[in-house]
Amino acid sequence: MRLDEQALAGVRVVEFTQGMAGPWIGRLMAWCGAEVIRVESHKVPGVVRLYVPPRSPELGVQPALSPWFTDWDAGKLFVALDLKRPEGVDLAKQLTERADIVVENHRYGAMAKLGLGADVLTAVKPDLIFLSSSAFGESGPHPQYVTWGPNIEAMSGLAALSGFPERDCAMTQYAYPDALSALHGLFAILCALDHRERTGEGQRISLSQLETTVAMIGPAMMQQLTGTTPPRLGNGSLHQAPHGCYRCLGDDSWCVVAASDDAMWQRLCEVIERPDQAAKAHLCDVAGRLAHTFEIDEAIEAWTCQRPAQEAMERLQAAGVTAGAVQNAEDQFQLDTHLAQRGYFETIPHLVKGEVVACGIALGLTATPGRTSRTGAAVGEDNEHVFRDLIGLSADAYADAVQSGAIEIGGPG
Amino acid sequence: MKAAAGCALSGRRVLEIADETGVYCGKLMADMGADVIKVERPGGDATRRIPPFLHDRPGTDRSLFFLYMNTNKRSVSLDMEQQAGRSLLHRLVRSVDIVIETLPPGRLDELGAGFESMRAERPDLVVTSITGFGQIGPHASWRSNDLVAGAMGGAMYVTGEADDPPVNMASAQNHLMASTTAASSSLIALLHAGRTGVGQQVDISVQETTLAVSHITGVGRWLEDGLIPRRVGTALTASTPSGAYPCRDGQIYLMVNRPAHWKALAKWIHEETGNEEVLLPIFEGPSSNRQEYRELIDLFISDMTKEHSVEEIFHEGQRRHIAFTPLNSTEQAARGDHLQSRGYFIEVDHPATGPIHYPSAPYRFERTPWSIRRPAPRVGEHNEEVYLGELGLDADELASLRESGVV
Repeated sequence: MRLDEQALAGVRVVEFTQGMAGPWIGRLMAWCGAEVIRVESHKVPGVVRLYVPPRSPELGVQPALSPWFTDWDAGKLFVALDLKRPEGVDLAKQLTERADIVVENHRYGAMAKLGLGADVLTAVKPDLIFLSSSAFGESGPHPQYVTWGPNIEAMSGLAALSGFPERDCAMTQYAYPDALSALHGLFAILCALDHRERTGEGQRISLSQLETTVAMIGPAMMQQLTGTTPPRLGNGSLHQAPHGCYRCLGDDSWCVVAASDDAMWQRLCEVIERPDQAAKAHLCDVAGRLAHTFEIDEAIEAWTCQRPAQEAMERLQAAGVTAGAVQNAEDQFQLDTHLAQRGYFETIPHLVKGEVVACGIALGLTATPGRTSRTGAAVGEDNEHVFRDLIGLSADAYADAVQSGAIEIGGPG
Repeated sequence: MKAAAGCALSGRRVLEIADETGVYCGKLMADMGADVIKVERPGGDATRRIPPFLHDRPGTDRSLFFLYMNTNKRSVSLDMEQQAGRSLLHRLVRSVDIVIETLPPGRLDELGAGFESMRAERPDLVVTSITGFGQIGPHASWRSNDLVAGAMGGAMYVTGEADDPPVNMASAQNHLMASTTAASSSLIALLHAGRTGVGQQVDISVQETTLAVSHITGVGRWLEDGLIPRRVGTALTASTPSGAYPCRDGQIYLMVNRPAHWKALAKWIHEETGNEEVLLPIFEGPSSNRQEYRELIDLFISDMTKEHSVEEIFHEGQRRHIAFTPLNSTEQAARGDHLQSRGYFIEVDHPATGPIHYPSAPYRFERTPWSIRRPAPRVGEHNEEVYLGELGLDADELASLRESGVV
């Protein structure tokens, strides 16, 4: 399917972003056919571009080679502006005039300081949809504090609620609040777009990454607000047993298993060849199993630890028991035939590396399936195309802007 | 029903046939003004039995999970196993813009109300299906839950302490991310349908949405570097230093991923503890330069943090533009002055529970605010207004459906 037939064809997005919480929104929209222009500067390289290839550290920082840059920024156009210069700010406004949507996730107040605050940009383009995503939103005691995704996870209560009871917490290693803020930001933009299609009105949206993350533990927070601190459950459940992660044959190999009802528990006992467990009256209902999780877990692990995780999973699933191998990156790519058949991973051309495999985009749109038109490129790669063809700068005006340093060319990658 | 005035999704109609996998998708839309009609079985949806319960006392309208996930929705009851229930379902589907469903793949079409079955009548319909492994592929019919999604989706392998088993994050994050992705996809499909008249089925796999959300530790990095990310506690492999550090009265989280942040931190540690070594140039530059010294650097940092309270490190660290933040318990998070000062927690009244407190909006809209207009519905609370008022059944028809247990 051609890019101009995709669901968001004709929508133009300009990004003033960093990290992942902002850029991933543009990545998803670009996948759906939107034209997404990311504004960067050589003077403040994005953290994702601070990448030194572990196999060749002697190359130093390689901004265009970062695999994360492919994951978060593929499919966009890249321009470089010095927003500390008035001519740079003016060009940013000209971009905004031609945009439907602006996304920014710089520190609170940073855009206003540059002269590109919400008031300015919505005056430039009255029906603009302007999403500002920051840790704390636009008020509170310290909206300007510096945070990254993991900081938000720690502050929100999600980290402390997660993990085994004997530990203090568990935290993701993938800066989860960045991704969840991006997904909520995308949804918010689409709501505003739906409103604009029907009324012609644009609007400002302010997303707080902290508040979005607290919303992810809603029921637990409601319990906390009644005065009862919710317990840390590890892999356990308050209403199902078994419900856990069990050691399998091999190094760091695991399989999760759960029984959602009594019949499934009976099927599970059959697979693990434990008629003795199946017959025990005190394990026949969920209340009994919840009271005897140790006994159940031991029986299951005695079986799982004798076989590889994939085999345990397949045998349990074949019998209609909820189970799954704990897959690492290699397993996902090499063992998971289901993902391969669904075409989840996407091979895309890369300017430097020839081609790379990108993490899939899980939007699941079957009639307008989306695709990645190109990988991430260098900072400012598309300056000429965007400022000459789109904004319509004359050759002289473009040369002047480059000369003054407002449009940045060259530089490290 | 009167459209929710002033809301972004006013006038959009959604039918939700969803278990815990997809219930948050409907909430996202309902809280932005869509009219979300939830289909429950006559005795009430199974999700009404998901703990925790208000004050630990179970009851049809006491599951905090259910109360949270169903704000602003209306409830109709119907039995899909009976022919009359199916014809009612068909009429409901015909009346909406979007269907959100989590039935086993193919089931809705078997009932005569899936995307393929409705195509002739409603070519612009959007049917969003959310299941563990998606609609097609060898595992499509496999059993799943949030734990399986965390395992198969790559999140668990990298979460927890190195010596512990992998652990799944609390509160069903995999289902929430699938639901959030599904909500966006549904609106993208709706926009497309509005412009072209062509609807579509949205095929959401919870495994895939988890892979997408956790992709920093996924195949991209591994194919590039040959390194399989593993569990490393609270740190991020990609950022040195990062992780939770001890203070006098709790723990503080630190994340350093720019050279300037490291310099500011090293300067502070030097000032506080007299440590000269921390200033060595070998530690400077991008994070990867510090990676092999992680344990040593962690000691330098703890030597400073353990002498202070969490609040001291938090505010002084932030004054120096270093990303130090408290590691909060749920209680500390709830009491925190930020959320309190923004009025983040709101009171929602419900006939069965009385007023209780809820987390509110993830985002604030200038013109079309997020809002709670009604609490989670009781089972079949809106049968009459939907079946009589909107689908045009007459009172006798409804009475006979009630008698046969369809409604």
